[in-house]
Amino acid sequence: MGTLYFRTMKHDPSNPTWEDRDYFINSKAHSAPGFYSTLAVAGYFPPEEIRTLRKLGSHLQGHPVRYSEHQKHHSVPGVEYSGGSEGIGLSVGIGIALAKKLDREKAKMNKVYVLIGDGESNEGQIWEASMAAGKFKLDNLVAILDRNRIQQDGFTEDIMPLDPTKDKWAAFNWQVFEVDGHKVEQIVDALYKAARVHDKPVMIVANTIKGNGIRHMANNPQWHGKAPPKRQTEVLLEELESECLIAPSIIAGERENYEDKIRKVEREGVDMIHLDVMDGRFVPNTTFFADTIKKLRPSTSLPFDAHLMIEKPLEQIQEYIDARCDIITVHAEACTENEFKEIQERLINAGISPGIAINPGTDMPKWLYRSLHDLDVIIVMSVNPGFAGQKFMPEVLPKMMAVNKELMEHGFRGYIEADGGIDATTLHQAYDAGARIFVAGAAVYGGGDIHGSVIQLRHKAAVALEKRLLNHSTRLNVRSDWMKARKHILIPYANELGIEEELHAIK
Amino acid sequence: MLLSSEKKTADMRSAYGDTLVELGRDDPRIVCVGGDTTDSLKTKKFGDKYPDRMFNVGIAEANLVSVAAGLSIAGKIAFASTYAAFIPGRCVDQIRNAICYPSLNVKLVVSHAGLTVGPDGASHQQIEDIASMRTIPNMRVIVPADAVAVKHLIRTIARTPGPFYLRLARPSSEVIYADNAQSFLIGRGNVLEEGSDATIIACGLMVVRAIEAAMELKRKGVSCRVVDMFSIKPIDSELVVKCAKETGAIATAEEHNILGGLGGAVSEVTAETYPVPVKRVGVRDTFGESARDEEIDTLLEMYGLTATEIAKAVLEARSRNRK
Repeated sequence: MGTLYFRTMKHDPSNPTWEDRDYFINSKAHSAPGFYSTLAVAGYFPPEEIRTLRKLGSHLQGHPVRYSEHQKHHSVPGVEYSGGSEGIGLSVGIGIALAKKLDREKAKMNKVYVLIGDGESNEGQIWEASMAAGKFKLDNLVAILDRNRIQQDGFTEDIMPLDPTKDKWAAFNWQVFEVDGHKVEQIVDALYKAARVHDKPVMIVANTIKGNGIRHMANNPQWHGKAPPKRQTEVLLEELESECLIAPSIIAGERENYEDKIRKVEREGVDMIHLDVMDGRFVPNTTFFADTIKKLRPSTSLPFDAHLMIEKPLEQIQEYIDARCDIITVHAEACTENEFKEIQERLINAGISPGIAINPGTDMPKWLYRSLHDLDVIIVMSVNPGFAGQKFMPEVLPKMMAVNKELMEHGFRGYIEADGGIDATTLHQAYDAGARIFVAGAAVYGGGDIHGSVIQLRHKAAVALEKRLLNHSTRLNVRSDWMKARKHILIPYANELGIEEELHAIK
Repeated sequence: MLLSSEKKTADMRSAYGDTLVELGRDDPRIVCVGGDTTDSLKTKKFGDKYPDRMFNVGIAEANLVSVAAGLSIAGKIAFASTYAAFIPGRCVDQIRNAICYPSLNVKLVVSHAGLTVGPDGASHQQIEDIASMRTIPNMRVIVPADAVAVKHLIRTIARTPGPFYLRLARPSSEVIYADNAQSFLIGRGNVLEEGSDATIIACGLMVVRAIEAAMELKRKGVSCRVVDMFSIKPIDSELVVKCAKETGAIATAEEHNILGGLGGAVSEVTAETYPVPVKRVGVRDTFGESARDEEIDTLLEMYGLTATEIAKAVLEARSRNRK
C-alpha cells in the first residue's frame, strides 16, 4: 500500500474524488489498520484519529466503508470500497475498470489496483472475477495478491492449497509477475511493467511473510489475529526500527564484469548494491561513472546505493539522477552548505534518497543539522576512501555513536551506513555504534564463497540485534517473558550471546 | 385516466428491455450487466444497441452484482439483471455489503420471480426475495403489476439515486394501467378501486386477481378497496393506515411466501399504528413445483394464489373485524 500511495498511484488527498485519480480497492479489508495508516500518512485524515480504530463512534470502522455523504460518520475520505466479506473487491475493481474504459479518452489515465489475500482466494467469486477480467482484457486493472501463506485456521496450503498460484492466474489469461512483497523496489518495478501490459489484466503475486520484521511472530499463524503483550511493545518497536541492510560493493574482489557480480549477490538476497564512484581527483583512484551505472540499471531491481567520491558533485548530479540510482550520497568535504541543499532538493524532487558521507578525519559539519529532516543516509567512513580492501578503523566508532545520538536528537530518521573494512569480525562494532547499512566489499567478494559470506554477515547482524533486544527487555523488566516468547529464535545464538543456561531454564 | 380501458396482455420483460434502450439513448451513464440470460431478460436489445455498455459476465451472479457495484462507483447507473432465483438467490451477501452498505447506484432488475416460472420448478421459483431484500438497510423493493407500471418504474428508479430491487414475473400479464398513467411514485401505493368494507393490498401479478376478487365481492354486496402496493419498501404506511381506519379489514396478496413479504410489511404497519385484522394470501411457506405454461393457472390455484382465495381472505378478515 505504501508503494502504491507514495510511489505509483495518481491521487490527491486534498481532492479525493479527483476525476483522473487511480483507484485502490482493498478487498482484503481486514487489513484495515494498515490501510488507514497509509491514508493517514498520505494526508487523507489526521493521524491522531488512528487511536479511535474500531471504537464506538469512530470514523475508522473495523472494515473500511466507502466514503460518501451517506457514510461520512463512519468513514474517511479516500476509501472507495466497503469491504468485509471476502472475495468481492476484485469484481468491484472490474466494474470500475470497465467504466473507465468506457470513458475512452481517459482509459489510459485511470488505473484500478485491487489488493486481495491468499486466504480470500478460497472464495469462488475471486475466480469468477478472474475469468471476467480476462474476458474483458482489462489492462487498466492490476491485482496484487498478498501471498503470506497464512489464513485464520493455519497455513493456506493445509486449509485450501492455492499453488500453483502463478499458473492459475496465467491460465485465466492474466499477465503474472512475482515479487518479494517486502521489497519496495521489486513492487515498483512490477507496477512499472504492469503499466506497459496491453490487452490483459495484471496479477502481481507478492510473496510476503506475515509478521515480517518481528522474528518470533513472522510466519506464525498463532499471531494471525492476536495482539502482542503490551509490556513488550517497546522491544518490538525497537526490533522494527532495527532492520539491517547489507550492501555489497561491486568494486571489491576479482576484476570481472559488474553484471555478474550483481547477479551473484542478488541470488543471496542482499538488500542493495553499493556503487563506489571515484573520479581520481577527490580520491586517488578511478572506478566508474554514471554511464556505467546506467548500463547496469536494467540488470537488477535491487536499489542502487551510489556513493559519489567526486569533486564538485553538484555539477554532475543530474547524470546520476538520470542513471536511476535510488540513493545518492555525496561527500561533506566536496560541497558547501548551499551546494548540498541544492543537491538534496533535486534528489528529493526526483524521488531519490539523499545521503551525505564523511571521511574518518572529518567532523560532521555544523550546517548539516539544518538539513537533517530530509536526509536519508549518513555514511560514516571507517577507512580513508579511495581503495577497496582496507582495514576497519575502530577509532571512528565513538564518532559514529556520537553522530547517531546527536543527529537522532536533532530529527534525523534515516540510516547510518558503515563503509570500509566491514566484515564478520567488525560488523557488530559498527552495529552497536548505530550503523544499520553495512557496505561489504572484500567480505563478500574477497573469499570466493559469496553465499557463505552473506550468511555469516547476516548471522553477525542477527546476534547484534538479539543482544540489543535482550538488553532492552532487561531495562523494561520483561527479560524472561521476552526470552520465553523468543526462545526458538534465540537458540542458535545462545552460545554467542552467553545465555545458554538462562535459556535452558525457560520452559 | 389511471386504468386501461381495453383488455390486453403485455410482457413485463419486453417493457423493461425497451425502456432500458430508451434510457440508454438519453443517458450515456446507463450500463447493464447480464449473466447469460440477456435474451430472456430482454436486456440483449440494450446490448445490441450499445454493445460497449453491456457486460455479460456469464453464469456468475456474485461477480455480476459486484461488477455492477464497481461500475456505479465509477459514476455509471448500473442495471444488473438475471433470474430472481440467482439475484438475489445466490448473492445476498454481495448485495448487502458491496451495494447497500455504501448505498450505490445499482438497480437489480430481475425476472422469473414467484411460482409462475413454470416448467423449471421449485429450484427456480423465487418466493423469498421480497423478504430478504426488504430487510437490508438502504435497499428499496419494487414489484410492478403490469408492463405499463414496469415502463414507468424503470424510469423512476433510473433517476432516483441508490440501490433498488425490482422484481418481474415471467408470463405475459393483463395490462391494468392506461398507457399514459403517471402515478408511480416510490413510497406511494395506487388505489385502483374505491371501497369501504375492506381493502385488498396486492403487488405484481396478484393485483389483477385482486381486482377480480373485488368484483366478485361487489356482487355479494361487499365494497372492497383495491390498492396496488408496488412500492413494498418504502411502503406507503400512510395509505395502509388510512385503509385500516376507513375499511377496518385488510387482505394482502402476493406471489411470494406469506412470511416476510408484502403481507408482512402491511402487518408491521397496522400492528404498530392501527391494528385491524389482516389476512395474507401467498405461498404458504412451502416449495412450489413444475407446471407447463398451459397449466400455470392450475398451479396458482393449487397454491392458493387466485381471486377466489383473495375474496375468501377478505371475508375472513372482515368477520374478525371487531368494529
